[in-house]
Amino acid sequence: MGKSFKILAIPYQVWLSVLVFIPLVAMVVISVTNLNSTVTLSELQFTMEHWVLLTQRPTLIAFRNSLIYAGSTTLISFVLGYFVAYQIFRLRIKNKFIVLTIVILPMWSNLILRTEALLNIFSENNILKSIMGFSLFGNIAGTPTAVLIGLVFTYMPFMILPIYTALEKIDYALEEAALDLGLTPMQSFWKVVFPLSFRGVVTGSILVFLPTMAGFAIPKILSKGRIIFIGNIIDTKFIYTNYNSGALLAVILLIFILGSILLMTRFDKEGETLL
Amino acid sequence: MTIKGVSYPVATLQEYGYRDYSKFKAVVKVLKTVLFFSILFMLYLSIIVIAIQSINASRISSSFSSISLTWYPNIFQEEDLMRAIRNTFLVSSIATILATIMGTFFAVGMYSLTKKKRQGLMLLNNVPILNADIVTGFSLMLMFRLLMPLFPNIFGLFTLVMAHLFFTIPYVILSVMPKLKETDPNLMDAALDLGVRPYKALIKVVIPAIKAGIFSGMLLALTMSIDDFVISYFNTGGGFDNLSIWIYAVIGRRNLTPSVYAFSTLLTLFTLIGLMVYQFLQRQKKGRKSGIL
Repeated sequence: MGKSFKILAIPYQVWLSVLVFIPLVAMVVISVTNLNSTVTLSELQFTMEHWVLLTQRPTLIAFRNSLIYAGSTTLISFVLGYFVAYQIFRLRIKNKFIVLTIVILPMWSNLILRTEALLNIFSENNILKSIMGFSLFGNIAGTPTAVLIGLVFTYMPFMILPIYTALEKIDYALEEAALDLGLTPMQSFWKVVFPLSFRGVVTGSILVFLPTMAGFAIPKILSKGRIIFIGNIIDTKFIYTNYNSGALLAVILLIFILGSILLMTRFDKEGETLL
Repeated sequence: MTIKGVSYPVATLQEYGYRDYSKFKAVVKVLKTVLFFSILFMLYLSIIVIAIQSINASRISSSFSSISLTWYPNIFQEEDLMRAIRNTFLVSSIATILATIMGTFFAVGMYSLTKKKRQGLMLLNNVPILNADIVTGFSLMLMFRLLMPLFPNIFGLFTLVMAHLFFTIPYVILSVMPKLKETDPNLMDAALDLGVRPYKALIKVVIPAIKAGIFSGMLLALTMSIDDFVISYFNTGGGFDNLSIWIYAVIGRRNLTPSVYAFSTLLTLFTLIGLMVYQFLQRQKKGRKSGIL
C-alpha cells in the first residue's frame, strides 16, 4: 500500500503519547512529591514520605499475596489451559470461530456478577446444594482456595486462546516429519509441538499473571476482604483520596508490568498471539 | 501351513516385544474427556449459577424455591439497575463505534509505515492491553484530575468514553493489522492505476478487503468495553455508574436484586443466538460461493 496513508498513523502516535505518557509521568511525579489538590505549584516539593508505606507490614504482605496468588494462578491455568487448548486443537475443528465462542462466551457476562455467583456457590448454603442436596465445594467462601479457584477459572480463557492460536499455526508437516523420523508421539510433542507453541504460552502466562497480580475485585469478594492484594491497598488509597500513596504503589506495579512486556516482546515481536 | 503331526510353540505377540496398551489408552482417553469437560464446566459454573438464580422464585439467592420468570419483567421496574444498564450501553456503544472507525484508519496508517517504525508503534499499542487495568485506570484518573481546574465536572460520561477508547482501539488495530498484511498489495495499485483517488480507493477497495478484521475488532472492543470494571471504577464520577460499578457497590450492601441475574442471562442468550446466526450466515455465504465455482 502506498506511502500516502502514513499520515493516518500520526494522530495515533499523538493519541498514544498523550494517553500513555502524560498519565504515567503524572503518576510518577505524584508519587515522589507532595502534590495534591490543596498544594499549589509554588509549594510543590520533592518528598519521599509516601515511600514509608513500602516498608510497612500490610504492604509487604499485600505484595507477597499478589505475587504468590498470581504465580499459582498462572501455573495452574497453564497446565489446565494448555490441556484444553491442545484437546481442542486435536479435535481438528476447521472452524476457529466455534472454538473462540466456546472459550470466550463466559467472558461476555459481567466479571463482578460472575464472581458474586461464585461466592454464593462457595458458601455453606447455596443454590446448587438446595437443588442437588449436596454441596460441590463445601464452605470455602473466604478461604485462599476460593480465591484461587475464582482467579484460575476467570482468567483461564486468556491462557487458552494464545496457546490455541500458536498451536494452530504449527505446520502439520513438521509433526509428520518428526513421526517419520522415528519419534514417538510423546517425543514429537515435547520436541516439536511444545517448543513451537511456546510463545503462545508466554503470551498467555503474561495475560493471566498481570491482571491477577494487579486485580482487587476478585480477591476482595471471594476472600470476603480477608486476603489483601496490592490492588486492594491502591483501592483504599483511592477511596480516601490519598493519591500520592496510590500512585506510588501503581508505579511499583508498573515496573513488574514493563518487565513482563519486555519479556513478551522477546518471543513475539508484533503481539501476533495476543489475539 | 502347518505340517501334520508336528507341533511347535508359536510365539505370541507379547514375546515379540508387543505390549498391549489398548486398555491403558482407553483409560487415559476417558480421563482426558472427564478432565476436559470438568474444566469446561468450571469455566461455565458461574454462568450456570447466574441462570439458575434468575429463574428462582425466591429473592434469597442461597435457596431454590420454585421456577419463576418474574425477575425478567422486573428488570424494567428496578430503576437503579435500568440506569446502570443504560449507562453501560451508552458508554460501550459510543466507545465501540469510535474505536472501530479510529482503529481501522490508524491501522492503515501504521501499515504504511516502515517495518521498524511500525514495530515501535505496535509496542506502544500493546501498552494499554498489557498494562494492568488498575495502573491504566489510576493514571488516567490522575490525568483527568489535572484537567479539573479547567473542567470541574469532567468525570462522568466523557472520562469514561475516553478511557474506554484508550483500551479498545488497540484491540481493533491488533485484529485489523493481520488482515491488512494478507491483502494483495497490487489491489491498491490497481485501483490507483484505474484513476481512483487514494482515499476513495481506501474506502472502496481496502476496507472491504479487511472487513472481517474490522468486524472481529469491533466485537472485541465491545466485549472489553461492556465488561470493564476497574478502569471505569477509577474514571467515573457524578454518580455515572455502569453495571459493574453498580453491582460492586451493591454486593457490599448485600441486597442484590435477582433481576441482575435475569439481565445477565438474557445478555448471554442474546450473545449466543447472535453468534449462532452469524455463524449460520457465514456458512450460507461459503456454500453459495462454492456452488458458483
